[in-house]
Amino acid sequence: MINYFDPATNTTSNKPIDFNKDYGTPASTSTQTVCLEIDGVKITVAAGTSVMRAAAIADINIPKLCATDNIEAFGSCRLCAVQIEGMRGYPTACTTSVKEGMMVSTENNDIAKLRRNIMELYISDHPLDCLTCSSNGDCELQDMAGAVGLREVRYGFDGDNHLDAKIDDSNPYFTFEPSKCITCSRCVRACEEVQGSFALTIEGRGFASKVSAGTSENDFLSSDCVSCGACVQACPTATLMEKSVIDKGQPEHSIITTCAYCGVGCSFKAEMKGEEVIRMVPYKGGKANQGHSCVKGRFAFGYATHKDRVTEPMVRDSIDEEWRVVGWDEALEFAANKIKNIQAKYGRESVGGITSSRCTNEETYLVQKLIRAAFGNNNTDTCARVCHSPTGYGLKATIGESAGTQTFDSVMQSDVVMVIGANPTDAHPVFASQLRKRLRQGAELIVVDPRTIDLLNTAHISANHHLPLKPGTNVAMINAIAHVVISEGLEDKNFIEQRTDEYNAWREFILDDINSPEAMAGITTVNAEQVRIAARAFAKAKNGAIYYGLGVTEHSQGSTMVMGIANLALATGNIGREGVGINPLRGQNNVQGSCDMGSFPQELPGYQHVSDDVLRAKFEKSWGVSLDNEPGFRIPNMFDAAIEGTFKAMYVQGEDILQSDPNTQHVQAALSSLECLIVQDIFLNETALYAHVFLPGSSFLEKDGTFTNAERRINRVRKVMKPLAKFADWEVTQKLSNALGYPMNYQHPSEIMDEIASLVPTFSMVSYKKLDEQGSIQWPCNEEFPDGSPIMHVDSFPIGKGRFAITPYLASEDRANKRFPLLLTTGRILSQYNVGAQTRRTANQTWHQEDLLEIHPNDAEERGINDGDWLGISSRAGDTVLKAKVSERMQSGVVFTTFHHPISGANVITTDSSDWATNCPEYKVTAVQVEKVTSPSAWQTRYKKFSAQQKEHFKRSPKKQKATIGS
Amino acid sequence: MSSSQIDNLVSMLNQIANNNNYKKTDEETAKIVANHVKKFWARSMKANITKYADSDGSQLSPTIKLALAQL
Repeated sequence: MINYFDPATNTTSNKPIDFNKDYGTPASTSTQTVCLEIDGVKITVAAGTSVMRAAAIADINIPKLCATDNIEAFGSCRLCAVQIEGMRGYPTACTTSVKEGMMVSTENNDIAKLRRNIMELYISDHPLDCLTCSSNGDCELQDMAGAVGLREVRYGFDGDNHLDAKIDDSNPYFTFEPSKCITCSRCVRACEEVQGSFALTIEGRGFASKVSAGTSENDFLSSDCVSCGACVQACPTATLMEKSVIDKGQPEHSIITTCAYCGVGCSFKAEMKGEEVIRMVPYKGGKANQGHSCVKGRFAFGYATHKDRVTEPMVRDSIDEEWRVVGWDEALEFAANKIKNIQAKYGRESVGGITSSRCTNEETYLVQKLIRAAFGNNNTDTCARVCHSPTGYGLKATIGESAGTQTFDSVMQSDVVMVIGANPTDAHPVFASQLRKRLRQGAELIVVDPRTIDLLNTAHISANHHLPLKPGTNVAMINAIAHVVISEGLEDKNFIEQRTDEYNAWREFILDDINSPEAMAGITTVNAEQVRIAARAFAKAKNGAIYYGLGVTEHSQGSTMVMGIANLALATGNIGREGVGINPLRGQNNVQGSCDMGSFPQELPGYQHVSDDVLRAKFEKSWGVSLDNEPGFRIPNMFDAAIEGTFKAMYVQGEDILQSDPNTQHVQAALSSLECLIVQDIFLNETALYAHVFLPGSSFLEKDGTFTNAERRINRVRKVMKPLAKFADWEVTQKLSNALGYPMNYQHPSEIMDEIASLVPTFSMVSYKKLDEQGSIQWPCNEEFPDGSPIMHVDSFPIGKGRFAITPYLASEDRANKRFPLLLTTGRILSQYNVGAQTRRTANQTWHQEDLLEIHPNDAEERGINDGDWLGISSRAGDTVLKAKVSERMQSGVVFTTFHHPISGANVITTDSSDWATNCPEYKVTAVQVEKVTSPSAWQTRYKKFSAQQKEHFKRSPKKQKATIGS
Repeated sequence: MSSSQIDNLVSMLNQIANNNNYKKTDEETAKIVANHVKKFWARSMKANITKYADSDGSQLSPTIKLALAQL
């Protein structure tokens, strides 16, 4: 039977949102509905919806220019004028809300004439170069001229116009061509509402008004613009345009995938021409980012096809030799033989490996499986060791699950947000934009951080509390905050009674005078009254949420601090609903996933302890081998055992331990002691300089799989191009396993996920089919929560009741003293990422070409230091040289640097102090001295020489030579 | 097993004990330390420290000795 479309019965409020369509204005969150009629079509929509959006839902597409659905309606272009029964004139559909019984006409002769007149005025000051314009094929102005039937421009082009306005191409990724601007201010509003930077403005009035980045002296690059791309995306014309599109033309197809930078896990449309990515556009349907992006995910993807990509396997017997380029089979045979011989000579436990938090869940799962099943031991670890391992320990001990409790979107219900040891505007920019949006709506902000982070400079914010504590005193601070809550009777007695255990012992501990803000002020250096005010604000909030980063975990009391945070959330009843919770901000794209997938030496996938016979038996049956029931080495233990001479081989996938791990000279000593180091990476990274086998890796664009972000959201990664080195990382691990004699025969990553679902109770209903249907899934996803779990611990904890932990403050062993009077902390900046291997190979270098040492003006003056001076920084572990940047965001006595560039040697200075429970390194507290110097450090000189020598070994490898001669 | 390796293991043990001794008896702390080591330390690390405890043990506090006896 043929079904005819009947517009009269087209009530469309339940229609799923099409994320590729622009509905003109944002969705309303109201639960009440309103029924109206547009062009004779009856429509039921949420109250507060605009007429424009209601029409668009019914697929009646009213012409528009200044409206787009990720920013509020503005009503400046007037193109969406409609007629509404009972209303005078031509109201704009974007700014008019629907009302019960409203009758709207979107098209008639009067409206058509009005719209044509408006378009005619626009086009009278717009170049008519459509055929050669970069937005040809993707231009809303062109589309609207077509839609309204514009046929002539009666005014001519002889009058005053903006056609000669100068192009600003200062930003490396996009151009600003003001001659094409229609001053709709979508870019300005996107910068304000979506990104929250307020870098753009409309300068001048009337005919002279124009879009301006910063003041009239600024161009885009020198303005406050953070290059997030929101303005480029919002622009309806070619005014703001990606340079890649200008160079190459419009993409012809797109594939939805997940960004491989930070733990926010933004969804992007990879817009392609054949196998070439033309641009990455944030996908509105991505639940983590809702159509927003940052400079890294949006623009810095060029590393994937950078000339430095190594695409052929290489081997050598010693690191003093040149590399030999070999075929895949030979390389894998070489690696497998080395491993087998080493195990025969030094024993089963003499080898191990590191899984990658940059690779997919499926790849991480396979590496740990290879280690446990093919190597036959539990010597597996991951870079979470050096970032969020204390989160795993601390949250498991208190609330029973090693994961954040919320969705990112939950922050929109928070009344007070406490950010501890995190710098979201730089490290998790897309979440920071959402947080800023909530702060502009009136939520209060409490920042616990030694530095004056950018979040504190949020525009239009009602209340800021900054507790600028001394590095290493987090636990003292969290105890002081909890002391105020309990001693002033601000706790949530109901929640404590019903949902928690071991409260009384904790209450007694926290009420002890030593934990009062007054007693702790001597340790934290923060004024007690300030602490009391912030603590009261948090406790009295209807919804209080805590977000934290590596400034919490990377301490000798990292795990204690995580438990302290959980104590505070439990005591104030801030867990188990929207707007509250404990939210670890994860550094790398798949840190959550790599932990979930059993990368830690003591836990099989799904945090199932290796010593539990029942749990282990399940894996033994599935994998067909018997498994070791003792935990294996953590990364620092591997290094110690290597130096001791009992640990001889490592398989490292996608992690640059030499640059990222603390105490570089110790790591160098460990890596030099290995008889076989297998590195699998997309670049010949710093660690690979010590390798014997190099297996080329694949970027996130070259494979299928999943990443799990900081909200436990499993997102699909989709292959948009063939692997440059022929195989995806999971295929390489599988081949290595087969070469070692442990068979793996997966045809597609979905089969690996099926195996994970069969073994991990919190993943039991996860499948690629479900991921494709739902877009993403937040685990747990099982019989109990078949659609996943956006908010955790709603009714109970996995351990039944939440447990308060006793968290006494102990001073860091690395204390400032006469010899090393300053404290160094390290971190990330916006444009670069981790060890910089990816971002250094993109135009993001424009913003940060070298690591600098930030120092407070007082400390600088005392030492006669000016901006740009060479500074020697020494600690008990080593010394290095960096350029100075005098900065007021530092507190006196504290210095800061990033570790994005290998030659900086930032980790030559960091020590082997680590968290008591997890050995997570204490990157955030290193006692140092700083003085002016004239030459690089001895380490830097040695390193430069070694690095140059290794580059020669790479360049002069026989096959490369042949290729050079032949070409 | 070099002395620096032993120093390292001893300082790890002391750290665990110091973070878990609030208003606890030596026995209670020792039990926590022992459980932590059982749950998180690799076989060879346990063997090395036990061997040291049996052969010398001069750097070990009474609490740590109690803990190691439970491995």
